[in-house]
Amino acid sequence: MSTTLLEEVPPPRLTPVEGVKEGLQRRWARPGGRAYAVLRWSGATVFAVIVLGLVVSLLASASQAFGHSGLSFLWSGTYNATKDVYPTGIYIIGTLVTTAVAIIVAVPIGVGTAAFLSELAPTWLAAPLSVLIDLIAAVPSIVVGLWGLLVLSPAFAHHVEPFLKKIPVLEWFFHGLAYGPSMLLAGTVLAVMILPTIVALSRTALSSVATEDREAARALGATRWQVVRTAVIPSARTGIEAAVILAMGRALGETIAVALVIGNNNALPHSLLAPGATLGSAIINNFGEANPGLDKSSIIGLVVVLLAITALVNVGGQLLLRRRLRGQGAVT
Amino acid sequence: MSRRPLRRVSTVMVSLAAVALVAAACSSTPTAKKKADKTAASSTTTSTAPAPTTTAAPAPSTTAPAAAHTATTTPAKPTSTACSTSGGPLSATCDTQSPSFKLAGAGANSIQPFFTRVFYYYNQADKGVSVNYSPAGSSVGVTDIEQNTVNFGDSEIPIKTPASGTGGNILQVPVDLGGVALSYNLPGVGGGLKLDGPTLAGIYLGKITTWNNAAIAALNPGTNLPSTTIVPVRRADSSGPGYDLDQYLIDTGGSQWTGSVAGSAASTKWPITNIGIGEQLNTGVAGFIQQTAGAIGYVEYAYSLQAGFTNAALKNAAGSFVKPSQSAIAAAGAQASTLSASNFNIVNGPGAATYPLANFSWTLIYQKQSNTTQGIVAGKLFDWVTTTGQQQAAALGYSPLPANVVSLAHRTLLTLENSAGKALFTS
Amino acid sequence: MSATVYPTDPNTRSDTIGARRTLVRESARRSLARRRLVGRIAVGSCVVAVAISLAPLIALVAYTTSRGIRAISWGFVTHIPTPPGIPGGGISSAIVGSVIIVGLAAVIAVPVGTMCALFLVERRGRLAGALRFGADVLTGVPSIALGIFAYAVLIGPGSLIGHFSGIAGSFALAVLMLPIIIRASEAAMRSVPRDLWEAGLALGVRRSRVVRSVVLRGALPGLVTGNLLAVARAVGETAPLLFTVLGASLLVTNPLQPMGALSLTIYSNANQPFPAAQQIAWGTAFVLLVLVLVLSIVARLVSARLNRQAR
Repeated sequence: MSTTLLEEVPPPRLTPVEGVKEGLQRRWARPGGRAYAVLRWSGATVFAVIVLGLVVSLLASASQAFGHSGLSFLWSGTYNATKDVYPTGIYIIGTLVTTAVAIIVAVPIGVGTAAFLSELAPTWLAAPLSVLIDLIAAVPSIVVGLWGLLVLSPAFAHHVEPFLKKIPVLEWFFHGLAYGPSMLLAGTVLAVMILPTIVALSRTALSSVATEDREAARALGATRWQVVRTAVIPSARTGIEAAVILAMGRALGETIAVALVIGNNNALPHSLLAPGATLGSAIINNFGEANPGLDKSSIIGLVVVLLAITALVNVGGQLLLRRRLRGQGAVT
Repeated sequence: MSRRPLRRVSTVMVSLAAVALVAAACSSTPTAKKKADKTAASSTTTSTAPAPTTTAAPAPSTTAPAAAHTATTTPAKPTSTACSTSGGPLSATCDTQSPSFKLAGAGANSIQPFFTRVFYYYNQADKGVSVNYSPAGSSVGVTDIEQNTVNFGDSEIPIKTPASGTGGNILQVPVDLGGVALSYNLPGVGGGLKLDGPTLAGIYLGKITTWNNAAIAALNPGTNLPSTTIVPVRRADSSGPGYDLDQYLIDTGGSQWTGSVAGSAASTKWPITNIGIGEQLNTGVAGFIQQTAGAIGYVEYAYSLQAGFTNAALKNAAGSFVKPSQSAIAAAGAQASTLSASNFNIVNGPGAATYPLANFSWTLIYQKQSNTTQGIVAGKLFDWVTTTGQQQAAALGYSPLPANVVSLAHRTLLTLENSAGKALFTS
Repeated sequence: MSATVYPTDPNTRSDTIGARRTLVRESARRSLARRRLVGRIAVGSCVVAVAISLAPLIALVAYTTSRGIRAISWGFVTHIPTPPGIPGGGISSAIVGSVIIVGLAAVIAVPVGTMCALFLVERRGRLAGALRFGADVLTGVPSIALGIFAYAVLIGPGSLIGHFSGIAGSFALAVLMLPIIIRASEAAMRSVPRDLWEAGLALGVRRSRVVRSVVLRGALPGLVTGNLLAVARAVGETAPLLFTVLGASLLVTNPLQPMGALSLTIYSNANQPFPAAQQIAWGTAFVLLVLVLVLSIVARLVSARLNRQAR
């Protein structure tokens, strides 16, 4: 395909209609082609339709529950099986806590691993390691949950949790009877599940930083680690952000794996070692056997609440990042 | 936009699919099966027409793997009575070899092993009938049958009668009898620990916290009980076993249970959820019990039998402590002399050898079958399931249906009718 | 103070310029040593982080492999399932079903997702911001809700297909994959340096051509990574398929019919107590991992070759 070149040729004489047609063609031809614009717009439209359709259908199904209990649906703290009342407030707290644990554990480890794989590791090690880490993304959530229950939970109950209880400073976080299934275990299992996303996408972001930036830092006398810290990671910030947002979404919406390891206790957890419940675990536990009508609508209501929480967390995260980025002078 | 990378990826996927298909074709009978599937295509009915898929194509013969059949009998070879026009007697087999029928069902997770087995054996004898069952949950099965997107549903607790959906009246047929075991993990203490309603209620309310509590010791004099903390495990998802135990505690647990949030109506959702640990499905409960000393939880008896758990002996209505077993559960089923979909509770039934926690599983099917032949096939299938198929139940740890329940199932299936209202079967 | 070009003897302390030079050199040397030490500590802690992160991951894969590999045999991969207790069964219908369902899902999601990502990259403004926000929120939707949505749109009363089918499952999985593909592709495309874009446009090349030759080529590794992540996630999902696909034990290749899937097989077998069923569940999980591994390696090789060709 040859590129169009500006030619020093006087434009031909055209009738008005031909002139309009010629103008339109030129307009469509230059910005990138009609077909290309149509493709872009159709992709965006299809996606927008799907998202809107999903949100509308969820809201429609949940409307019965919201209409019945009003806004108190959002913060109710009591569970009543016979009256189909769910402690949404407890679920929200559980969701936020487990996701926080997962993010706090997974992001530093994930970005560090990505930095290692892209900058500091030899090629013969980096490729197989990244393939291995991607493989974890493929493990079905029920398998991860079962592994968490059968392997991690006894390890936690017998070794990790007693150890954590002994640390004097963290007394407030870790106390009480610990049987294994707990918020901490759920957060850890979530961290394992979201790690591949963070590592894979951060690695892409880090390795696509231009060599000029690295070389410039090196020329200024930076050590290898300083190159990574000052030149590479800041430039890769957008990619790492995308990775963290995707990972957080996964952690917020995870159902089966969390339900197997969190203990499903509808009480306000008093420590990280206590069993709790999240919106995801509540949804998967109750939907399969929900009574038709108000009960089912309440479960969908929980889904809507989860969507709202995801939106709020995303907005909060973006605001935080924008504030920090403004200080650095970077453009989103 | 460059399509080449996409084409490469899709080529890879297509080649993987081709490899898998070739491998599959090598194993199954190399008939013109794939072509048959495509041409036979789905006479996919739209959502307005009631009955879902019926492929009227040459039967895709399935591979019968080198099956070492266990000591159970397969049904007799079908006679030459045609199925298409009249069903004749319900229990007579009919010839369905030439057309092929695919039935779809969805419902409770717990009955899946039984269904998989009986449908397999039925298919062995009558290659024309294949059934797919999805263990998505009782509620999903109920919704699906009400919306007529499946041929039958299954629920651990019957839906309220009269039951109806878009296709009219829904019949509820008992197909399976199972029980609930209270399994525990207490090193040093053998099986058969005696428990009754008040002690169980105390455990699940968090009032009895150690195994050597006075109430438990009183029921088990002579057993050396350790001071381990009790960790009560419940089903986090709603379940039939939970319903049974809730009903038992309502009947025998006293006012401490009925006066609490549990109330006086049993529900599949466990009422007290801030005590102990909740786990998903039988697997979760079993896995937790196995690894936690001091844990006690309820699982389906068939499950605990396979997993080799130690089970508690529960006090029944006659006052004796009975361990769960297939015969004790069968005894409970035999007490259901007036069983029906509206009177389905057999928890805490009379009889000295009766195990108090038992329940039937109910299949939901439309009374009016818009596709006559399919209705005949479905009726005969479930009649076989409730009669000859019960031999499979015993092999899996369930108990065979008692005679009166078999005749209830038979009577219910006899009311199947075609779209014109004419009964499908004669007797 | 002028910088001298020729070296001086550091031992001549009487020379003030020399003394200052020595001081500068000494402090530079100390600073370098300090920075090197910090660097080594940081690298060391990165290695430790990698080791910590890989430990549970490797343990998970090792556990699945050790429990699953006992079930593997040629018959396991080529026969259709039999009930628990009856030997000779396999998961061939599930493998074929998963390949078809996830393949169709990818065919739907990859083009739509990539086009939408191009849209987000090219345009700024409210609409793009809203779409990006929509993608972020969609990642948090539990997969069971997507299954319910697909059921309502495609299977329930008054819907497009009206009965359980493979394609309904593909639709649910495509909706699951879309936000991952969009976000990852957008990040990958944005990482292509701006000057390459501008150079192409400055040459008078049409925008679509610039995107095709420069951006997609440059972002190819990132695109492959993002799409692979999405496909890997989709292959392992159970809840959306439970509501849309129903499962089948016979070999079904028509996507308009109910089909089997690997994740469904794992789900239904893991919940049964029979050792045979447990073995099938873990064996299926192992087969799933192997399939994704093969796909991952092939995709990376292909992308590497394409990149080489581009040069």
